[in-house]
Amino acid sequence: MAVSAYVVPQAAKSAIVLGAIVAIPCLLIFALAQGPIITTTTNFLVMLTAVAALGIFSGNSGILSFGQCSFMALGAQISATLTIAPALKKSAFPLLADAIIQSHFSLPIALLITLIVVGLIALAIGLAICRLNGSSATIATLGLLIIVESLIVAAQGFTRGNQAVYGIPKMTTLPVALGLAVATLVIARIYRDSRAGLLLRATRENHAAAQSIGINVPSQRLVAWVLSAMLSGLAGAMMAHMLTVFSPKQFYFDLTFSIIVMQVVGGLASVTGSLAGTVLITVVVEILRRSENGLDLGFVQIPQIFGVTEIGLCLIIIATLYTRREGLLGFAEIDRFLPFLRPRRSDLPRDTTAVADISRKPTGILRIDAISKAYGGLLAVDKVSLELPVGQILGLIGPNGSGKTTLLGCIAGTHQPTGGRITIDDIDVTGLPAHRIAHLGIGRTFQNIRLFTHLTALENVQAALTQRWPQMGYEALTVAALHLLADLKIADLAQRDAGTLSYGQQRRLEIARALALEPRFLLLDEPAAGMNESETEDLLGILAWLVQGRGLGLLIVDHDMQLIMRLCNQIAVLNKGELIALGSAADVQQSQAVREAYLGRRHAERIVA
Amino acid sequence: MMKVTKILSVAATMLAVAPIAAQAEDTIKIGFVGAFTGALAPYDQPTLQGVQLAVDQINKAGGIDGKFKIELITRDMRSETAQSAVMTQEVIDQQVNVLLSPCDVDPSVAAGQIAQAAQIPTIAPCASTPTLPGIVGDYMFANYTADNLQATALAYFAQKQGYKNALILLSRDTPYTEKLPLYFAKAFENKGGKIAGTVEFKMGQQDFSAEVTKIKGISPAPDVIMTAAYEPDFPAFIKQLRSAGIKTPVLGSDGIDSPTTLGLGEVAEGVVFSNAGYPSEGSSLAKFNADFKAFFKQDPSAVYTATGYDVIKVIEAAIKADGDKLDGPSIRDAIDNLENVQVATGTITYKGMNRVPLRVVALNRIVNGQKTHVEDIVPNGADVPPAE
Repeated sequence: MAVSAYVVPQAAKSAIVLGAIVAIPCLLIFALAQGPIITTTTNFLVMLTAVAALGIFSGNSGILSFGQCSFMALGAQISATLTIAPALKKSAFPLLADAIIQSHFSLPIALLITLIVVGLIALAIGLAICRLNGSSATIATLGLLIIVESLIVAAQGFTRGNQAVYGIPKMTTLPVALGLAVATLVIARIYRDSRAGLLLRATRENHAAAQSIGINVPSQRLVAWVLSAMLSGLAGAMMAHMLTVFSPKQFYFDLTFSIIVMQVVGGLASVTGSLAGTVLITVVVEILRRSENGLDLGFVQIPQIFGVTEIGLCLIIIATLYTRREGLLGFAEIDRFLPFLRPRRSDLPRDTTAVADISRKPTGILRIDAISKAYGGLLAVDKVSLELPVGQILGLIGPNGSGKTTLLGCIAGTHQPTGGRITIDDIDVTGLPAHRIAHLGIGRTFQNIRLFTHLTALENVQAALTQRWPQMGYEALTVAALHLLADLKIADLAQRDAGTLSYGQQRRLEIARALALEPRFLLLDEPAAGMNESETEDLLGILAWLVQGRGLGLLIVDHDMQLIMRLCNQIAVLNKGELIALGSAADVQQSQAVREAYLGRRHAERIVA
Repeated sequence: MMKVTKILSVAATMLAVAPIAAQAEDTIKIGFVGAFTGALAPYDQPTLQGVQLAVDQINKAGGIDGKFKIELITRDMRSETAQSAVMTQEVIDQQVNVLLSPCDVDPSVAAGQIAQAAQIPTIAPCASTPTLPGIVGDYMFANYTADNLQATALAYFAQKQGYKNALILLSRDTPYTEKLPLYFAKAFENKGGKIAGTVEFKMGQQDFSAEVTKIKGISPAPDVIMTAAYEPDFPAFIKQLRSAGIKTPVLGSDGIDSPTTLGLGEVAEGVVFSNAGYPSEGSSLAKFNADFKAFFKQDPSAVYTATGYDVIKVIEAAIKADGDKLDGPSIRDAIDNLENVQVATGTITYKGMNRVPLRVVALNRIVNGQKTHVEDIVPNGADVPPAE
């Protein structure tokens, strides 16, 4: 299936503005200034490349990586090997194959080969690291940093071991650095809003919800990981060709720390933040280091104090983390501050009718056949069998801990059943991972609403839509997403961050997002929890529309008996993992077993008597 | 009348300005790019103190050759290679005549390459990797006792003691801990000794039981163990070696020239190590230490103070030798031809040494927790293994 690699027009504009913000002052410096400021600016551009490269992975995935410096080391090593004069190479790297020793490439070709090799290495490493979540992934990247450094030191003969690699041609001039830094910034900005970037940001915001709309989390991370590693390798090569000398220890904790500080101060999840952080830290360091030599302010004389730079940097970090935990820009891009970059209502497509045909109602039956789930000796779900045809509502009730959510998890693929079968018509979906199940026609909402908080309402739905129709371009996705939002009467909130919506609006958005995958069945875990009466009323209307208008089959878990009794065609009652009653509302109300389960045997008998 | 007054006043102004201009010409600017913060600061700061003492003494005595006052321009490169390049550019823009680079190879190469292009002689006061001047070019000089020089002095000593078989303990984690023992092995073999074995360790590993067991198993048992390990590896190693009952003599390098080693007690007794000089009574180093204490009101914290002092003395000698010319090529050639310059640590010779100086290596033995002088050695240039 073709996957559309669309470029969001707004991101492209934003990228151009970012590029210009960097390029214009740098070009002025290049044209007018000379001396150390040229070196400082070049160094700034190399750092900017490294920070933007880190941001592509860490910013979009939410996993802080300590490992990008290892790719910088590899980039420096490989590019140096390709560009050092053969005579020098023979003595510096005696174990290298003759063909490599004799080779002598120009910068563009050397960089190209470097990017490819680093990309392949990153791909192999990423297959393992991208499967890990949260802090275990971060620890793994830390391990990577240490392993790569040790390997480069140990591979003496192929490398210079712990010694300095020197004789690297100086090719990172200010214009070269500027070109590469701007290119990296543009790639990072466009990637952020691209299909892959959108999906990865969704996984950052909520792992389980991302899976529920069919996102394969490790593979989306892998895309960013490889891209980020290649650009980190580029930054490393730029640094090598700027300094003309490096040793492995250069690409270690100190540099890692500097890069992470710049990204964190600027805003971990923002490309504009990468730029802001790098500029801020560079400027502050330049000012502080000048004051280090002592200052005469006329009325007061500041003596020479060394260490001012370090102290100042640490204060900035503390101040940033204290006042703005998410960095200066947080999750925002520059678009938010420049009105002409903001999408206007009029930019959004008006014609919201041109969507896929939804008049065709789905068919099929979801069958749950003797499903069990055991945790050690405890049977959370014990051989439960249920059927749900489309166009029907099945309520699932039971006391706390009766296994309702576990059963829902088994159907949605977040829990592995230990026995039994789940089928949709003839397709066996038992034990498939959540993101596969999402593609096979089962959508879900969560007990505590799980939206992609820092994504707009529009993006929340687009992320799901592009899973269903990967070939759809950006324009079409927007049209379809707006249509869905309009169905749930929240189209006017499209550009708001999901986290800023009211509770009821969030619930609607969650349903809109689930519908984007065109499910035949929708699993709703306590949709009315925490809602007031009017909100509940509102919800009932939506649920009725889902069944009658869209023809879905709903499986609802809720404690609100009123809602369940009014809504459901059939009600299943679980107790201690077992199905103790199944039938209409009236049947269930009469059931002795149900009363016992809820009230205890003695109370139940008293009521009957 | 008005006109005459004007001319007179202009002339007066010129006369008043002239001596200042002449004085400005008679200063020599020395740029010091080093670490004030970060990992290299413990080496660059003592060096700078030595430099400052020498500058102060020379300036008080009327300047180099009684003419040139020294102006010292210092910059912090924060132990970063990239900053080293930036700061070097800054001091070069201030028209320094000579540059002093940081205490490590990478930043020294970065600084040296810029200075090389500007034809400004650069001296690395305390980087000890002997390949450094070769990497950068003909304007780059080393100053500190090079690793291969130190190793040669230790090999002389080992041979004189009658040791036949030596074992070297090295770590590939840094050039210093790896190459120095390898240079020793070469020099020792050239003198007819044998290397009984090579044992490797990882810096910071704490537990040396595997290495000690290996050393025990080597046959024939080595007569001497040589290593360039330093804190915290050296103390851990020597404790575990001695507690395993191995009494083989141990040779070390200037990395263990610290109070920690002296405080190790019984286990370190008899350890012989090399460094850049021993302040025996009446020696130039003893005088330097006294001067240092008078100037800074404290004892020198490391031998780098003395070697920092040496660099300025080398520059002074070079300018005297080239007939007071301050241009880069003249100073460069003059340094390259210096012989037996009297400095704080003894004497220094650059002539015929490819910009890595021949200088005194002092051998010290630990006796009763005190550093005692064994001998001063100036190795024969031909015995020094080539830098690699």
